[in-house]
Amino acid sequence: MNEETALSVPSTVGLPRYSPGPQVPGPGTLAVAVRGLRKSFGGKEAVAGIDLDVAAGSLAGLVGPNGAGKTTSLSMMTGLLRPDGGDVRVNGLDVWQDPPAAKAIIGVVPAEVRLFERLSGEELLEYAGRLRGMPASEARSRAAQLLDVLDLAGDASRLVADYSTGMRKKAALGCALIHNPSVLFLDEPLEGVDPVSADVIRHLLKRFTESGSTVLFSSHVMELVEQVCDHVSVIDKGKIVISGTTDQVRGGKTLQRAFIDLVGPRTRDEEGLSWLGSSPA
Amino acid sequence: MARLFARLKLRLLLNALRSSNAAKISFIISTAFAVALAVLTFLALASFSGKSTSADLTAVIFTVFAFGWLIAPIMVFGVDGTLDPATLAMYPLRTRKLIAGLLAASATGAWPLANVAGLLGVTIGLAHGPLGEVVAVAAVALQVLFCISLSRFVTTSMAGLLRSRRGRDLAAFLIVPLVALYEFFTQVVPKAAAAGKITTASFAGLDAWMRWLPPGLAAHAIQDASDGRLGLAFLRLALLAAVIVVLGWLWVRSLSRALVTADTTTQGARVRSANLPFARFGLRGAVAARFWLYQRREPASLVCWALVAVITAAASASSVLGKQHHPGVIFLSAILGAAFAGVFHANSVGLTGPPFVLEGTALARTRDLRAYFSGQNVVLSVIGAPLIIAVCFGLAATARRPGLGLEAAPVVLAGLGAALGLSNVFTVALPYPMVRRISNPMLTSAPGYSAHRLGMTFGTLAGTAVAAAPALVAALLTAADPLAIRVGVLLPCSAVYGCALALAGARIAANAATAKMPELCQVAIRSAMS
Repeated sequence: MNEETALSVPSTVGLPRYSPGPQVPGPGTLAVAVRGLRKSFGGKEAVAGIDLDVAAGSLAGLVGPNGAGKTTSLSMMTGLLRPDGGDVRVNGLDVWQDPPAAKAIIGVVPAEVRLFERLSGEELLEYAGRLRGMPASEARSRAAQLLDVLDLAGDASRLVADYSTGMRKKAALGCALIHNPSVLFLDEPLEGVDPVSADVIRHLLKRFTESGSTVLFSSHVMELVEQVCDHVSVIDKGKIVISGTTDQVRGGKTLQRAFIDLVGPRTRDEEGLSWLGSSPA
Repeated sequence: MARLFARLKLRLLLNALRSSNAAKISFIISTAFAVALAVLTFLALASFSGKSTSADLTAVIFTVFAFGWLIAPIMVFGVDGTLDPATLAMYPLRTRKLIAGLLAASATGAWPLANVAGLLGVTIGLAHGPLGEVVAVAAVALQVLFCISLSRFVTTSMAGLLRSRRGRDLAAFLIVPLVALYEFFTQVVPKAAAAGKITTASFAGLDAWMRWLPPGLAAHAIQDASDGRLGLAFLRLALLAAVIVVLGWLWVRSLSRALVTADTTTQGARVRSANLPFARFGLRGAVAARFWLYQRREPASLVCWALVAVITAAASASSVLGKQHHPGVIFLSAILGAAFAGVFHANSVGLTGPPFVLEGTALARTRDLRAYFSGQNVVLSVIGAPLIIAVCFGLAATARRPGLGLEAAPVVLAGLGAALGLSNVFTVALPYPMVRRISNPMLTSAPGYSAHRLGMTFGTLAGTAVAAAPALVAALLTAADPLAIRVGVLLPCSAVYGCALALAGARIAANAATAKMPELCQVAIRSAMS
């Protein structure tokens, strides 16, 4: 199937449960607005009151070292984890005041992709569509098109249990896209994905945002973020340390260098490791 | 090494106490059960004092404990909630040290201690004289070590199968004959003995070879030492110790093999149907379709239904077939079978695991969640009701009173409705993460949540019994009326009553879940399904 055709088909027609108004806000408006978002686990502050704006139609990256609070933040933005405080709005809808309305317009791919293993790829995507209130025929049609674009059509009737990591990520992305969300949240979407599958996903995300939809994803891979994102926010120790366009954040350096300069080097004085490397073996 | 591992296990247990309140409560309840087991076993063994058959009776108790150690880790509580041997595989530990360390770690904790304390009842019931007492203590220690090594060896041996999806499927099915055997020994044998079908004469000759089996070795070593046959006593203990060493060696070997064996699934299974069924029924149909496919394709689901059938049959088989012949207990089977259908499907969020996030991000309105729970209930009723009724009918036919099977059908419908409704409510009220360990083919509660599981199990069992009582009372009160009239009236009434209970459960669960969806998603995310 032609990719152009496939991408143009998903629409909001006939999807009564998740169309609470304009799906895509106009240019310049905020698709995601986060204010003072906080979360602590047993006295440890994982997210320490972050503010974050993501403009509609942008492909924004949320980068940070391990344990910086990326997954916790994304979970709170998508209604999967109750925050201790703060406010999250997606297309103007308060995620925690009106979860049904907010969930109807977002798509989520969690960091650790776990799918219904005993469904085939096409059954999985159809199920995701029907969960969103789509008529079965529409869900099947979109599932087939997405599987085609995601290069999974040949494996559509295989059980998800037998999919590789990359195939699972692509299937999860299909589930997140099938209802044509206006904002897509992805947590480490390319972790463990082979270069070919990664390219398919990258291409799909680019096309998705070009239509006016918004993507916010977290990643460790600075090259990827630098390559595809127009906006970047750096999170460290539960706080946003910088946010802006990719060019603004990297400030003439590579994003990798700028990132390390921002969060500080993690290396310690290594004098105490005099024994390391002295093994006679 | 043994000391280090035992200290590590203690540290892990203490850390669990310092973590969440759920873990604390679970630890306290688990310890309370262990203490109760210790006291009851001690009293039972002590009561054998002075009996001519005390050694044989002790051997039976020892065997029951060994069998319990074999079955319980697979069926109920997981192997060891704190120390997974797989985490030690990367360290350069010699096999002998690893056996000693893992056995020591396994022997540390409330349950092994309760086993030792309870079995020490032999010092009163069987042993006499100083040498007898000394040998009794050694025999109890060896018996507990035997139980641990046997349990670890058998469950870890299944790990090889668990390396592949198909292997996991096969391993899961092995549970059914094990449970059937367990039910036979715990339900049928004692009742048959009470009915006089099994007497001491039935075991003539059996005790002669049973005393050379590991639990018999331990029990008879005590008697031999007490009667002055020290050489024979030490020979038995030495044999038992040798069995433990062999089991330990096999255990570590099977563990090492399991950890380095490649997944044997090389060809993925393809499904025949292209689309999900029940397309006409909206969201409820979509959920029902997913659950329907899972009941067919997920071995754990098939195993659960097989267990429901086994439990239903075993609950009254001995009374139906026994000398005293109480076919009326088929009603008990009907309630128990229905209740276990609910027990096995309670905590559906934890059972679904991380994929629930896909559902959680789509379902937010109360009416969506109502459709979600009722979609599940429809599928489970469509499978459960005919299955349990068929088993009841089979029992009744065997008792030459097939009409009784029909009379039990209304009780099944009422009970199943109640059980499924309760399972919905418990899914939301008491959710807990589930994990699949490398050495266990079935999902089990994550460490720190066994109290949740116990609460859910007993709550569903008790609630189902209470809610099904009106159907049972109606069946008993109308026993004198013609069967056709009774079934004709009771069956539709009970079906409506059961549906109402299931719908009420789904409604209550949906209302509660609407406000609790993030917490349910977190429970699902914390479940580790492979």
